[in-house]
Amino acid sequence: MCDTGCAGNAGRPNMAPVYPKAGRYPDYARLVDRNRAQVDRRVFVDEGVYQAELQQIFARSWLFLAHESQIPNPGDFIRTSMGEDDVIVVRQRDRTVRAFLNSCPHRGNRVCMVDAGSKARGFICNYHGWSFGIDGGLRGTDGKVYEKDETFEKAQIGLTPVAQVDSYKGLIFGTFDPNAPSLLEFFGPFTFYLDIMLDNDEGGTEFIGGAIKSEIDCNWKFPAENFVGDILHAFWTHQSGAQAILGGGVDLGKRYDELAFQASVYGHGIETNLDKVGNTRTLGYPELVDYVFDLSERARDRLGDLRSRAIGAISSCTIFPNFSFLPGQNTFRVWHPRGPGKIELVVWTLVNKNAPDHIKELYRKGVMMTFSPGGVFEMDDGENWEYSTRVNQGFVTRQQPLHYALGLQSADLDRDLPGHIHKGSLNDANQRLFYTRWAEFMEHDNWTDLQNGETAPPQKTASAAE
Amino acid sequence: MLDLLDISKPFADLDAPVDLETERAITRWLHAEVRLLDAERYQEWLTRCIDPDIRYWMPDMETRRRDDPRGMFAYGEAAYFDDSWKELEIRVKRYNEPSAWADNPQTRHLHQISNIEVNATEDPTLFAVHSVFTNVRNRNEADQDIVHGRREDVLRAGPGGYRLLRRRVFIVQNVLLSKNLNTFF
Repeated sequence: MCDTGCAGNAGRPNMAPVYPKAGRYPDYARLVDRNRAQVDRRVFVDEGVYQAELQQIFARSWLFLAHESQIPNPGDFIRTSMGEDDVIVVRQRDRTVRAFLNSCPHRGNRVCMVDAGSKARGFICNYHGWSFGIDGGLRGTDGKVYEKDETFEKAQIGLTPVAQVDSYKGLIFGTFDPNAPSLLEFFGPFTFYLDIMLDNDEGGTEFIGGAIKSEIDCNWKFPAENFVGDILHAFWTHQSGAQAILGGGVDLGKRYDELAFQASVYGHGIETNLDKVGNTRTLGYPELVDYVFDLSERARDRLGDLRSRAIGAISSCTIFPNFSFLPGQNTFRVWHPRGPGKIELVVWTLVNKNAPDHIKELYRKGVMMTFSPGGVFEMDDGENWEYSTRVNQGFVTRQQPLHYALGLQSADLDRDLPGHIHKGSLNDANQRLFYTRWAEFMEHDNWTDLQNGETAPPQKTASAAE
Repeated sequence: MLDLLDISKPFADLDAPVDLETERAITRWLHAEVRLLDAERYQEWLTRCIDPDIRYWMPDMETRRRDDPRGMFAYGEAAYFDDSWKELEIRVKRYNEPSAWADNPQTRHLHQISNIEVNATEDPTLFAVHSVFTNVRNRNEADQDIVHGRREDVLRAGPGGYRLLRRRVFIVQNVLLSKNLNTFF
């Protein structure tokens, strides 16, 4: 405090934002053994690994923040998390979106206590009444006591901005890393697959209001890897839900061998069977199946044959690290880490803006009936992920490797689709690439290495897929 | 439609308490209902307690400023339950599958019902019933989930006894502090 001469007077604080630097954790990176297709269980329970994840992955990756439709007007805001960091996402007067750490620079208290709100003029800390504009700047303090102090540098003080915020076709993402590549570079050619859900019709998409939030005592990577490429579990885990809704088991469609594949870019992954309506059918409303059949026909010009078949197909997707969705079922979700052994799950429903109201209503109810805590599918997921995590408290148990070796010889070098393509959706390929990406984040302290490793997309174009 | 049956609308003031005999009968009905749920006799619950015109709603609860006109919940947005008979029946079918793993091994359930207030309405066959509940689920060795909430029920008196026609369930949790909801309230 005495670096300015120290004649009884303290120096002035430097309140510039601090964006943490990445490090290198090669020992942690080696916990993923690519050559043996196995993963060391310590990645799911070790506190040191978890803290490294917050630094290496969650402080650097582009993370999902909100859908544009949730904050349409200036001053509209929602509160969310980036990793364990509490964040406010707010629409500015110029209609851009900015995001800030939800923490007062004075004593650290939250300045926003609510989940969401509309047309806010700013945020006021309950502790000492420091108030901030929706641009994050300090507007004033209670009683103007600070303002009367001549050394007080109000203009230097504000909520810490999320370093970069950008959106892709309605979905807003942010990163704490000023040096991170653009959102489009972070996705790479994976946008080809995102468009299946985000751009299958005129007019764009929106979230239905509200969000279902729940806690699961599991490591965040188990649900993320589940959505990145584990359709296999659906047959066993979700047999009861499928029986209840469909009166039969999960069906991958007649042309599985010919059509189904997994695709991965930078750890983002999708698995799909191109069976047109397999996922939509499980929502239980025949009107939705008709809607998706029509949509699929209409989307042929927009997306081409292959992607138009994927809109409602049996499929799932994760954007690295922790944002997932199910095409056809339209559930979008974030698995927020809350320690190595806990997540907060937040779930929304996405619909096309131009869909008829009764279709939107059926999606709302369909997601509720299937992929919410009381839904007939999600009901049976949580306990699997909890015990997959918890058993590793056993010292000897966590020395035992986990097996990720389905489909080792399944690389599809002929199919001209973006990313690493593997034949068949019943495959661990995307999960291996998800953990390879995880290891790249542990290994590298710079984006040049991060964007040019094993998970980077092979050089080819998507044109032949059409 | 009576406001009373509009799932999006709260009860008006509950200022018409019924006679003791009716209150006793409906209290007994509420206790018997949750005994079926505790015993996982879901099909019987559906056929004995639930009216075919049931509306069963449990919204997600949000934290909002007091001056936010939206309030803590809004009909038509995200919900845990927003069911008609058809949706309730699907949920019950899942419970009855041997591969409903979240219920196999069996969960130990307890519903405690209290603060029961029974009120007459402008329709002599309909009763507006407010109650609160504590729901405890425990399974495996030490997995425990507790949910507290209140319910606004409309019961219809018919030849076969009372049936649940409308239920609004409001839990006190914002983030559900459980991995699932393998029960009814």
